[in-house]
Amino acid sequence: MGASVTATTGAKRYKLSKLEKSERLLGIALLTPAALLLLAVVVYPIVELLINSLYSYRLTRPGYRFIGLENYAYALFEDDRFWHATLNTVIFAVVTVPGALVVGLGLALLANQPFKVKWPVRLGLLLPWALPLVFAGLIFRWFFEYRSGIVNAAFEFVGLPPQNWITDPNLAFFAVCVAIVWKSSSFMALILLAGLQTIPKSLYEAAEVDGASKFQQFVEITLPMLKPAIVVALIFRTITAIQTFDIPYAMTNGGPGNATETMAMYIHKTTIDFLDLGYGSALAAIMFVVSAIATSVYLRHTRRDTGRN
Amino acid sequence: MIANLGKRKTTMLAGAIVAINGFFPALWIFFTSLKTETELLRYPITIVPEDPTLQNYTRVFVDQPILLFMWNSVVVASLSTLLCIFVSALAAYAIVRLRIPGRNIVLSLLLAVSMFPLISLMVPLFQTMRTLGWLNTYPALIFPYAVLSMPVCTLVMASFFQDIPADLENAAMIDGCSRLGALWHVVVPLAAPGVFTAAILAFVNAWDEFLLALTLSSRVASRTLPVGITLYQGEFAFPWPIISAALVVAIVPICVLIAIFQERVVSGLTAGGVKG
Repeated sequence: MGASVTATTGAKRYKLSKLEKSERLLGIALLTPAALLLLAVVVYPIVELLINSLYSYRLTRPGYRFIGLENYAYALFEDDRFWHATLNTVIFAVVTVPGALVVGLGLALLANQPFKVKWPVRLGLLLPWALPLVFAGLIFRWFFEYRSGIVNAAFEFVGLPPQNWITDPNLAFFAVCVAIVWKSSSFMALILLAGLQTIPKSLYEAAEVDGASKFQQFVEITLPMLKPAIVVALIFRTITAIQTFDIPYAMTNGGPGNATETMAMYIHKTTIDFLDLGYGSALAAIMFVVSAIATSVYLRHTRRDTGRN
Repeated sequence: MIANLGKRKTTMLAGAIVAINGFFPALWIFFTSLKTETELLRYPITIVPEDPTLQNYTRVFVDQPILLFMWNSVVVASLSTLLCIFVSALAAYAIVRLRIPGRNIVLSLLLAVSMFPLISLMVPLFQTMRTLGWLNTYPALIFPYAVLSMPVCTLVMASFFQDIPADLENAAMIDGCSRLGALWHVVVPLAAPGVFTAAILAFVNAWDEFLLALTLSSRVASRTLPVGITLYQGEFAFPWPIISAALVVAIVPICVLIAIFQERVVSGLTAGGVKG
């Protein structure tokens, strides 16, 4: 019996060390499909994008001519519409990112209760997340319709005059913000709720004993404990806010005029509607750089986070 | 006793606010879809449909190619999910179990891809698909969608794989299984919940995607649901009766899916915590 045990452990040791040798090879082999897909769908297109951005290249007229950085110079120094779209994108981000955080935190606090029946609350948080962005845009467009919309009906109910939500530039901008905040806050709430549930109850009990009010408990315990989750959620939301496209596309299509046109929408129009691939590529490359900077901030944060854990 | 009752009431109220916030828009569009065109044009508006009718649904199914849009969505979402899960499962396993060089770089790269601006990919992908003659075909969407969900799926599955004791695999290998055999017979069954969770996330991502579908697949016959319904709108007027019914038809499948698997979806979202 003793002999068979030694034989087994011997065999185990032999097999494992042999495995260790081939492990690297297998690891690389298992990563290959992922790497190939990434090369084809992300890396190659980005190289193509950067090259095209240096060319004058329109599908509406023949010719593919190298023009150096002219596309970039035009975008940065002459194209007012580009700057207008950039400004819109920035304002959307500045309004909707904190907006989604506040609403999301509120929802998370409301949802963090010992409910007997859990599914209505859970689904209430999941449904906005699962809904396609354009559908949220369409539904909110319906909410904000002048005659048949529920928002103007509510306005009238409390005695306020109905508003031209979609045709007034400022109100349209506001309406789009409301839709974005509604759509993005529930995902925020899910992440923050997971964070809330990791805070030990004993902290609150101790604070209770010390006579701290609910508000003090929130400021002194909840917020500091949630801070890592909040920071990650904020950076993440900012990166997605830079790419805002679907909701304004469905609600206003960038209008009235260009009042709600974002960078992504302008790039889409330049490339697909005007078929100016060279200039569209330059704009998309600018967007890529902006996004890459935001992402590197995010990566540094998550890495520090995991390091701490 | 009374204080307890009051506490229960506030708890109920808190839950009701969250639920109404989430359900109301979908519910409102459902009410809208049951109203007749005359009721929709009436002023002031009605809340609950006075004379509920299914005529909008008949119009959606008869006059509009909604079943075709749905079929396109199902094909694209399912196939891209399969591809994504296959590729991500292998990658996740390699990251968790095997000592691969540059493990942290791989992880960072995955996070970077999950943040990637789709609009930057859209321009060159449009050009590439045009050259390949793939515009308005399924593969034009399947491959990009598989890659888009790859980061979140890899991270979710990696976090599930991590909890499977390595000893189980070693035992299987001692019993004569190859490494891949151990993966298939031991790890996969145990990892099934993780794989499934990742698959739901990938499916929802693909089902919801709009920008690439609009760009690469805009011909009527190849439109997915989000593109098909959004482009119902004419130049000036929104045909709300049809749009509302179409929205309900498109929302129901995804609602059923997340309602059945809600706990998994939540655990996947918070474990992967990267894509929304």
